[in-house]
Amino acid sequence: MSRITNKLRSLLLEKMEKNKTIELEAGAGGKKSNDLISQIKKNLMFQSRWKNTDDDGATFTIGKEHLTFTADAFIVDPLFFPGGDIGKIAICGTINDLSVMGARPIGIALSLVIEEGFPEKDLQKIIQSIGKISKATGVPIVTGDTKVTEKGKIDKLEITTAGVGIAKKIIQNNGARVGDVVVASGNLGEHAVALLAKRFNYQSKIKSDCRPLILELQAVGKYLTSCKDPTRGGSAAVLNEIAEKSKIKILLEEERLPFAKEVVALSELLGIDKFSFPSEGRFVATTPQKYASKVIKILQKYNSEAKIIGTVQKGKGVYLKTSLGGTKIIDVPQGKLIPRIC
Amino acid sequence: MKTEIKKLLKSIQIKAQKIGRPLRLMELCGTHSQTIAQNGIKSLMPDNIRLVSGPGCPVCVTAQKDIDIMVGLALAGIPVAVYGDAVQVPGNLMSLEEAGRKGAEVYIVYDITEAVKIAQKKPQLVFFGLGFETTTGMTAWAIKQGLMVYSAHKLFPPAMKALLANKKIKVDGFIDPGHVSVIIGVDVYCQFPIPQVVAGFEGKDVLIAIEKLLTQILNKERKVENAYQRLVKKEGNLKAQKLIQEVFKVADADWRGLGKIKKSGLKIRSKYQQQDAEVVHKKLIQKIKKEIKIKPSACQCGLVLQGLVEAKQCPLFGRSCTPDNPQGACMVSVEGSCNVEFRYVQNNK
Repeated sequence: MSRITNKLRSLLLEKMEKNKTIELEAGAGGKKSNDLISQIKKNLMFQSRWKNTDDDGATFTIGKEHLTFTADAFIVDPLFFPGGDIGKIAICGTINDLSVMGARPIGIALSLVIEEGFPEKDLQKIIQSIGKISKATGVPIVTGDTKVTEKGKIDKLEITTAGVGIAKKIIQNNGARVGDVVVASGNLGEHAVALLAKRFNYQSKIKSDCRPLILELQAVGKYLTSCKDPTRGGSAAVLNEIAEKSKIKILLEEERLPFAKEVVALSELLGIDKFSFPSEGRFVATTPQKYASKVIKILQKYNSEAKIIGTVQKGKGVYLKTSLGGTKIIDVPQGKLIPRIC
Repeated sequence: MKTEIKKLLKSIQIKAQKIGRPLRLMELCGTHSQTIAQNGIKSLMPDNIRLVSGPGCPVCVTAQKDIDIMVGLALAGIPVAVYGDAVQVPGNLMSLEEAGRKGAEVYIVYDITEAVKIAQKKPQLVFFGLGFETTTGMTAWAIKQGLMVYSAHKLFPPAMKALLANKKIKVDGFIDPGHVSVIIGVDVYCQFPIPQVVAGFEGKDVLIAIEKLLTQILNKERKVENAYQRLVKKEGNLKAQKLIQEVFKVADADWRGLGKIKKSGLKIRSKYQQQDAEVVHKKLIQKIKKEIKIKPSACQCGLVLQGLVEAKQCPLFGRSCTPDNPQGACMVSVEGSCNVEFRYVQNNK
């Protein structure tokens, strides 16, 4: 039997190597994304004096401070949605990637690729959203680039932002320790649900959770042992990343889960795991038990739904203790979000 | 934990202990498998109770031949629409998802009204009709709206009959499907001499069903109980049954893993033959069937579906068959037995 298996396997591998193209799932933040990134990294020189090159931002130590650098590309459909637009996400995303590293963002570069024929007033609206967040957070847009392509070459608009920040202490994602608690800065997954509801014409009061996380992270950053913003791949992906890099197990409790009723309902209706829904203005983090109540108290000033959602234990993986008392694995999403029919 | 749940779990413990011998309870419906996985119910069961998944995931039991035909139609330039989790299921040649990557027009729909809408712009569209009585009613409605369908729809009771007829399969009780029963009612299950409980889809519902099954086994009873009375009526949904009868006729059908089962499928009646892809594309489908080369595979999905082998015992499991590169339907769905097992093995390495 094993001979047949080996033969089959080599046939399959051969077939796979021959017609390899980039799959859509490789962009969804799950296992296939990780594979693609490893493939890309193979041919690039990484690190040198930079550290944390596989985190939300890379860091470069200068004296006692750490320069933090990140970049992010945005393709969002629809461009406008309840609670925000592509511009708001583009600036918040980069501010947040720096913030979850423990850095204070000091400047952003903004690059636009615009499809010929794109309505000027939509562009202005999007740029205004970027300006609004930039002003509110005090993080300036300091440089950028603008290109226009022929119609049909891209889909409407693509935005890339890069940002630098300065950190006194980097929050790495490998710092969770046994005995820590896991906190969520608010209810999760609302960005995904706002977009999905729009896509399927469901009436929903949920708005995207897109917002900058500077203030709360400046306030609690020093107490955190790890921190991530659950964008692509949702909380499932980032909690698994923390668990894997910190070599610990995370146990969540179903009765304390940070999901609004509508998020759970849409997850069940569409058969998509709520843990894989992205957020654009939330973070999950670990903190030692002794700081837990202080952290929650501070976070609740910014979002009343901030709470402890689980604990860090010895072991590996991310598990959920269900309300019936059973346990269930929370795995990294496999690929794109596909609904079940049964 | 709520006292009600505690009581249920305690009662399950006590009854399982009294029965003593190893028991296998089979949930027949894919959504029950989902509930069991979501709530971690397997981790709550006493050692002598094994919950096994039956052939109740419509995607999992869809024959490779039917996937091949849909792939063939798509590659021939006919736009096709399909429910989400069926796109990744491999046929002999490829999955519909791969066909999409090769340039075929493959639409993923969440519900059939989306397919009806697409068909207004693309009248050639063929919808892949699959599923049990739960989805058949909607397909019947859509056919009456003019949607063209390739029907791989299946009937649930004949599969139960086939399972019980296979002497190798040892099952001590069935958790009967909830959604299917909403349509077909409860009486139809009385022909099967085995303890059965129709259950709802909350974690608690499944625990109630397990507890009731154990009670029956302990009392040596073999009856059908309806623990989902809030939705399931004795006679079912007569309106849906009438609609299904009007559009479909009973025919033999191929099941992945179970083979051909007599009178277990639904084909479109000749009155609606203009909406029947098998009639409209008869020649093309014959050609596709001729060209199908059965890919040699050691995939044991079929045996897994019948509860005859464990996922781990399949020679492909974890080697050439992984969630990233599924060789069989049980590895495709996140709650398919192989997929669930794979992730447990990965995490507990």
